[in-house]
Amino acid sequence: MIFHRLFLLILLVGVCCNVQAQKSLPKNMVNVKGGTFVPLYGSDSIPVKVKTFLMDVYPVTNAEYLAFVNKYPKWRKSAVKKLFADENYLKKWDGDLSLGPNAAKIQNSPVVNVSWFSAKAYCECQGKRLATVEEWEYAALASETKANAANDAKFYQRSIEWYSKPNPAYLPPVKESFRNYYGLHGMIGLVWEWTQNFNSAMVVGESRADVTMDRQLFCGSGSDGAKDVKNYVAFMRYAFRSSLKANYTVANLGFRCAKSI
Amino acid sequence: MKYLLPLSILLGLALSACSDTNTTEAHGAHQNAEATIVADTELSDISLYNLESEWQTEDNETIKLVQLNGKVQLVAMMYTNCTYACPRIVADLKRIEAKLDNYKNGEVGIVLVTMDPENDTPAKLKQFAADNNLDPERWILLTSSEMNIQELAVLLNMKYKNGGKGEIAHSNIITVLNAGGEIIHQQEGLGKDPDETVKTIDGLLQNI
Repeated sequence: MIFHRLFLLILLVGVCCNVQAQKSLPKNMVNVKGGTFVPLYGSDSIPVKVKTFLMDVYPVTNAEYLAFVNKYPKWRKSAVKKLFADENYLKKWDGDLSLGPNAAKIQNSPVVNVSWFSAKAYCECQGKRLATVEEWEYAALASETKANAANDAKFYQRSIEWYSKPNPAYLPPVKESFRNYYGLHGMIGLVWEWTQNFNSAMVVGESRADVTMDRQLFCGSGSDGAKDVKNYVAFMRYAFRSSLKANYTVANLGFRCAKSI
Repeated sequence: MKYLLPLSILLGLALSACSDTNTTEAHGAHQNAEATIVADTELSDISLYNLESEWQTEDNETIKLVQLNGKVQLVAMMYTNCTYACPRIVADLKRIEAKLDNYKNGEVGIVLVTMDPENDTPAKLKQFAADNNLDPERWILLTSSEMNIQELAVLLNMKYKNGGKGEIAHSNIITVLNAGGEIIHQQEGLGKDPDETVKTIDGLLQNI
């Protein structure tokens, strides 16, 4: 009985915190109101429910990531284990604690060449987590004016154009990127972003089937499962995620954090 | 008593979430602690035993993966509610085990990791081990938080998706780890001829 009460008390405390969190948003996070959507990939067309959650307004910048490695030496360029990040980790940085000669240009740009492990650790150290694929895709459905622009052909067209632009020599500051309905910047048109369960989106077949690993599914049969073929942009994101391994670091792949409420 | 377990899991999560703060500061102490476990082996950069997450065994003991070091380990992921593929992955592991007669339990271990921590409590895992006649000297069954399991899964190149409704779509992989926790070989798919995996184990044990 005592435990029962204790548990209740903890539950109550939890509820209070939640209420608080809703009242005062953590700095640079927005509330993404939950709902349902039909993800591009799914064994069936059953809409997926996304609970209301908090998401960082901007992808994590080089300056922010520098502060992180300052505090957590394990994630410095020279210290990181190969298991957790490949040899291109923070490739463009000058050293463990230096962004290099172009620091002024890139400090407010998204950090890239980070692995899933390092992104996850960063978020956990802020008391946050990576967004799930479902949360990320749900939030990315928004145009400037609509939470769900799934049927807005113009919005896709613009997105495709964004993705077809080559990477600039220096990524622009996060604040200058596209701002959507929720107030999220750079969900499209800036960098690709890590998600918590990036390795779950492309399970093909069912548990009965032998799943061939490293099948990249970039083309051909990969598109068979696509729910909404006109949303080619989302399709590209799913295909890209499926080609990743958790210690990969890529020149146009960054991340932002999320939080449950 | 019932409520203690979830509580302790919550606390464990909170503690492990950002646990790497003091790895360098407390390096000396850390090394000493590890020294007793790792014996003479220094963990390589690609050892899975670099993961610092905590796991519960079927006997409800809390361990870190590094405690699996020192012998060749076969690792596979499954969940006990799984009616088709998982019994087969256990059968595949047993086929390999049957060819390891020459080796003592101290030389080769088998690790089953659940993908369904919500359902697979240590007690459920213990029951599963008993139902499947898994030799407790050879086999160890592990559960942890969803995040820790996911982290291990990505390192094992396992893809899985919990579709709710008790069904988990997943790949089937048996991984061979050497004594230092490095991935040496992976057998993909079900019902595969175990020869290559057995040969890998033979090779590793001749080197020990």
